[in-house]
Amino acid sequence: MSSINTPAVVMDNGTGFTKLGFAGNDSPSWVFPTAIATRNTSTGSSSKPMAPSKPSFLSSGTGNSNSLIAGSNANSKASSIHGNRDMADLDFYIGDYALEAAKGPSYSLSYPIRHGQIENWDQMERFWETSIFKYLKCEPEDHYFLLTEPPLNPPENRENTAEIMFESFNCAGLYIAVQAVLALAASWTSSKVIDRSLTGTVIDSGDGVTHVIPVAEGYVIGSAIKNIPIAGRDITSFIQTMLRERGEADSSLRTAEQIKQQFCYVCPDIVKEFRKYDNDPEMFAKYIVDTVSHKKIEVDVGYERFLAPEIFFNPEICSSDFLTPLPIIVDQVIQASPIDVRKNLYKNIVLSGGSTMFKDFGRRLQRDLKTMVNERVEASERLSGAKSSGVQVQVISHKRQRNAVWFGGSLMAQTSEFKSYCHTKRDYDEYGPNIVRNFSLFSVP
Amino acid sequence: MLQLEPQNLLIEETFNTALAPGYEPVSLDRILTDFDFTTYHISTPQDKTKILLSIGIKCWSDLSKYGALELLQKKYGGYSFVKILSQGSCEPGYDVSLYIDIEQVQLDDEAKLELINELSLLKRNCFAAPFLKAFARYEVLAKETPVDPNNLYGEDSAATSNSNEEVLKLDYRGEESIYIKPSNDRVTVIFSTVFNDETDKIFSKVFLQEFSDARKRSIQKAPQVINSHKEVPLEIQHIAPPSDDKTYITFVLFPRHLSTEDVKWNSITHIQLFRSYFHYHIKIVKCYLHQRMRFRVQSFTKILNRARREVDEEELRAERKTASGRRFEVK
Repeated sequence: MSSINTPAVVMDNGTGFTKLGFAGNDSPSWVFPTAIATRNTSTGSSSKPMAPSKPSFLSSGTGNSNSLIAGSNANSKASSIHGNRDMADLDFYIGDYALEAAKGPSYSLSYPIRHGQIENWDQMERFWETSIFKYLKCEPEDHYFLLTEPPLNPPENRENTAEIMFESFNCAGLYIAVQAVLALAASWTSSKVIDRSLTGTVIDSGDGVTHVIPVAEGYVIGSAIKNIPIAGRDITSFIQTMLRERGEADSSLRTAEQIKQQFCYVCPDIVKEFRKYDNDPEMFAKYIVDTVSHKKIEVDVGYERFLAPEIFFNPEICSSDFLTPLPIIVDQVIQASPIDVRKNLYKNIVLSGGSTMFKDFGRRLQRDLKTMVNERVEASERLSGAKSSGVQVQVISHKRQRNAVWFGGSLMAQTSEFKSYCHTKRDYDEYGPNIVRNFSLFSVP
Repeated sequence: MLQLEPQNLLIEETFNTALAPGYEPVSLDRILTDFDFTTYHISTPQDKTKILLSIGIKCWSDLSKYGALELLQKKYGGYSFVKILSQGSCEPGYDVSLYIDIEQVQLDDEAKLELINELSLLKRNCFAAPFLKAFARYEVLAKETPVDPNNLYGEDSAATSNSNEEVLKLDYRGEESIYIKPSNDRVTVIFSTVFNDETDKIFSKVFLQEFSDARKRSIQKAPQVINSHKEVPLEIQHIAPPSDDKTYITFVLFPRHLSTEDVKWNSITHIQLFRSYFHYHIKIVKCYLHQRMRFRVQSFTKILNRARREVDEEELRAERKTASGRRFEVK
């Protein structure tokens, strides 16, 4: 095929947001919520709201089973036969337009991805269809695709994905990469990374949940993965509560989010930071809200500037049931991994996702971890009497952290070897969907 | 989403932000695509306020032969801040570049929107050239030999058949081509398309049949659609080599599709997207069938689950046996 020169399409479908774009770009072309708004059917009361209206030739041929399944629904089904030419299956919106459309009465909003995994394949298929044809404007037959999946994604989900990509869209080639591995690849842009290995610990903190994932030589160590129920959403709501308690003029979710993005940072020591604020009123910032009616409201920004990101390091200030700080979790994860990779896991701790973007987040994490590791090394030196060669702890933060997974995908997919790692449509036709259970790893250049 | 939109949303968005008041110039370097192997590159090579929009089209040599460059000149030349670079001066690897100095843009909001729209329609504008050329030729022919009003059925008489008329040919996807043939009472547009997938071929037959039927049923104003598989239509038999796996779709544009400027552009917009539209719909038909299939499987599983016999405790206890088949009683 002549698809050799077209740029590969990189799609990172996350729980909250979908990142779409072409390989070779440094940022995704589109970032929008992974949401789809579908038309409410008149038979919305049935147990299966997603069932598309049935073409007449189907319902007449299978009359028997139909009465079994539909039961009391049989009447309403009969009426929907009449309306099956109304293209109800094409009447939907995705992304920001979906959120907009769902405000009206006739559309209902749903999120086809839950906890990183695709739950509703019907909706996901349609979501992809619109993202490819409307937003990226490309003919899937001419492009290779790189999709992402969360760690521990069941292989059946991969097969389903391949079925859709190859059978519905006839895409030229497909590669499904694990998000954590791509995040590692994205860190290669940082000047601190010298050896470009695919071994490291990935801290991926998005909107809903934070994962700590150890990766050795491109393979995820599944047994050692840990989740933390603290992520972007919790920080935002923490700021919101602080604003509310102080009785600020505006304490909407949006304002809290803006404050989080513009003012928050991680401090080395809370007690000292409190003192600094009390001695120096300059530290308090002001955020100006533009309301719809063009009135300007001033909101004071106080201690939450450093307190909000602090909940990663001292979870007790906002949550009562989860109390382990992030550095300890990272340490536990590495300790749970095989002993021969632990050194490299400590040396290459990579941040990814929007909630790791706070200033000095990496530095604080590195300091806390280092203290912990050094104590352990000292203790073992004392007990064994042998001199340790020391463990290097390094947390890497880089410019592309926000869309690290997508960016890593873009880096990978623009290499000239990428297409040889993909499974092509021909392979799929030859071997069937289980071909995508295995992908060869990118060799490290 | 029934229709594909002719404009490129990404270009639209880029210029919407770039031309908005209070835009802070950033350096851009983006690759975008469009259907039929069209690639765009948006970049700011020298200055953050000067955006270079380059387009690469597979069949550019054909398009430029039919005056695409002149058309672009006509479309964008009116704007003093848009420089059109072509051939030697455009970005290497691309065919035409538009160099837009956004600092110089002084337009009111409506004109700005108009400009953004025109920029996002760059691909269509390039593809419009051969169509416009054919339309112009049709007008000349129509004047030379007016249509005989007695010839109700549009039969080609020997005198009026324009079999020697030049056919404009665009190899828009390498193997697949568009042929445009003007004559004195119509313009014929023929698409040839290839399906790599066997199932797609079958879908396409059903789909094309529907196209021809739709006109009979309700939409009389639509252009006539004739489709043929493998058989090369008469109009292009002398230039198209016979081939086994090609499907030909012929659109006959009648004078009413070419009456005014607006109608002409409307016809062009729709017809140049036809191939993408066609392939898109075959794909979403498959998506729709998949949905039905999933629903069906789910409902069958439900029935099967309902049919499962409930095993009570007593039976379970009686049926204990070892791997070798020996039974034993649990006391």
